[in-house]
Amino acid sequence: MTADYITICLADDDEDDRLFFTDAFDELRINTRVKTFKDGVELMNYLNHADSILPNVLFLDLNMPKKNGVECLLEIKKNVKFNDIAIAIYSTSSTEEHIEETFVNGANIYIKKPNDFENLKKILSEVVTINWQYHTSGLNKDNFLMRM
Amino acid sequence: MEIMQLHKSPLFLKIIFIVSLAIIFFIGAITFKHITVLKKTSTWISKSYEVNIELERLLSHVKDAETGQRGYLLSKNKSFLKPYDDSNEEIKKSYKRVAELTVNSRAQQRNLKKLQYLISRHLNYLSKTLYLVESKGYNEKIVSTNLVTGKEAMDSIRVEIEEMITTQKNLLQYRQNDYNSTMNYTPLLIYLTLLITLILITIAFIKMNRDVVLLKNTVHTLSVAIEVNNLSEIIGNFGSWQLNLETGTYTFSDNQYRLLGCEPQSFEACAHEYLKFIHPDDLEILTEKTQNIKSHNILPPFTYRIIRENGEVRYLKSMGQIVTISSDNKTFIGTTRDITSEIDDQILTEERNRELESNNKELSAFNYIASHDLQEPLRKIETFISRLVSKDFNNISASGQQYVGSIQKSTNRMRVLIEDLLQFSRTNKTEKNVVNADLNYLLENAKHDLAQAIEEKKAIIQSNNLPTLHIIPFQIQQLFINIIGNSLKYSKKDVAPIIKLTYSQIVSNEEEFLPNTHHCYHKIAIEDNGIGFEQEYAKNIFVLFNRLHNKNEYQGTGIGLAICKKIVENHKGFITAKGNLGVGSQFNIYLPVE
Repeated sequence: MTADYITICLADDDEDDRLFFTDAFDELRINTRVKTFKDGVELMNYLNHADSILPNVLFLDLNMPKKNGVECLLEIKKNVKFNDIAIAIYSTSSTEEHIEETFVNGANIYIKKPNDFENLKKILSEVVTINWQYHTSGLNKDNFLMRM
Repeated sequence: MEIMQLHKSPLFLKIIFIVSLAIIFFIGAITFKHITVLKKTSTWISKSYEVNIELERLLSHVKDAETGQRGYLLSKNKSFLKPYDDSNEEIKKSYKRVAELTVNSRAQQRNLKKLQYLISRHLNYLSKTLYLVESKGYNEKIVSTNLVTGKEAMDSIRVEIEEMITTQKNLLQYRQNDYNSTMNYTPLLIYLTLLITLILITIAFIKMNRDVVLLKNTVHTLSVAIEVNNLSEIIGNFGSWQLNLETGTYTFSDNQYRLLGCEPQSFEACAHEYLKFIHPDDLEILTEKTQNIKSHNILPPFTYRIIRENGEVRYLKSMGQIVTISSDNKTFIGTTRDITSEIDDQILTEERNRELESNNKELSAFNYIASHDLQEPLRKIETFISRLVSKDFNNISASGQQYVGSIQKSTNRMRVLIEDLLQFSRTNKTEKNVVNADLNYLLENAKHDLAQAIEEKKAIIQSNNLPTLHIIPFQIQQLFINIIGNSLKYSKKDVAPIIKLTYSQIVSNEEEFLPNTHHCYHKIAIEDNGIGFEQEYAKNIFVLFNRLHNKNEYQGTGIGLAICKKIVENHKGFITAKGNLGVGSQFNIYLPVE
């Protein structure tokens, strides 16, 4: 890591989930800067703004009002400016269709929201510390879905 | 072979007719010829007799002349000279007549000339003698010489006439022989030809008789076939029609009328009358379809509507074809079927299908919401409780801590239930990715999924070499997970579970609980040494939410085996269970061989 801290973004319409997310990073003591957005439109506005600091890892909830996770994913993948952002899908569901669709459209990892806070912390710390270049080059459908 | 065929063909009768006709003509011709010959011969006979008579007459005239002359010489009476003078004229007449009668015979003509000469010589002698006697002082000797010469001449005339009669007789004889020789074999010939004709006619009669019998049988068979056809038209709800393209006449079968709602043959069969029944909107398609018949020789099946007299609309389907029955008699034949009930059924089925489809959609949407959306608040409850436990557990009273534990257990159970339900509803889905998959690989994946439980229980999972089958891989993997998971769950507490998977191919009628057909099945038997169950519950364990044990003894939702059953059914297979309480249980999976 060249920067002193890792920039992390989360787009999730659920307030509680945003709270768990930020709390987990607070407790993890990794040097991170976490920014949350309550829907896809808000996220894309931020990313497209010239002054914005682009995140290292972006967590995308799938089911969001206005602009959902898949739409955001497609938009980001279309723009070369966002090539360096690692995208983690962060969703309650883990249906085959969703996994397949996001994998095909270029997401880097799929995380099913855990139902235990300690588990959440474990997953997030792992995701943030993944060597993305290494992970992406060996990416396949089997290791796409993160298992704990 | 061809000859055998010949006597069966109508050509045979024609040949017999022509031959018989020729024979009759032949007989006629022969008879005519013979009658002509007979007529000629009889003419000849009468002619010959006439010649003979005329010659006799000629001779008697000559004699008359001589007798007269002699009488005069003896008596010097002039009255004796009268026959002598007359005879000269009579001889000429008779001679002329003989010459006429024998004009065709050169020999007789020659004889006649000779006769003429002899007669004239004899007459000369007669007149010379007369002259010598009448002149004064005649020499007795000369007269006597003359008389002798006259007598000689008379003798030669007799001889000549005799010869002529003989010649005539010979000629007649010759004719007679000729005639006889012709006539001799004629009766035999006529008799033979008549016999042949008789035989031929008899053969023709037998053949015709046989044909008539054959025809009768054929007519009988045909009328039975027509009756059968009429019946089948009634039961099959179809009718038929014909159009003779040469004469332009139509024929409708009885049921064709019934299809139109009319009494059989209640109106004249023609296109004009039929078109009156056609639904106005379908007239165009009907004329369009029928226009192309003559060029294509076929009327492809098409559907149109008719309106019966009582206003009822029926759907009919027609098709037809031009057939050439005898060499150039083309007939356009066709059938019509009433398909109204089929179309009604089809509409009903389509409606039902639509209803079912929308019901299904609603149901799966409900399932999804129930299982997926319910997870969200549940997950939050669990997360909050986990936070509460890790942060503030020590600040809660002892009973509060117990409550929290109970809440955790309940939420945990609810999550398992929801997850199983979600899986069950997903197993329901029809999207099937059927591919060839190696069961050994799927079993390894299943073991991997169950690794924790296997390790905890120190379970041993054995399998002989499993095949590669045409299946939906993730479903079969789930099947293995559920059944092996089940065996692990219901294992005996103090015995390490041993789970055996064996594969074989069987025929369904050799196997318990399987239909009595002769289909081949892949059989995968999964056997364990767990707590088993009583056989009477064998069927119940596959029913959704059905459990044999209290949830406090063994965890479970009663969905796992229901999912297994659904998966196997998705593969058109069967699953059966055999239990032996305290000994173990066995699950048999049967998947059809393609």
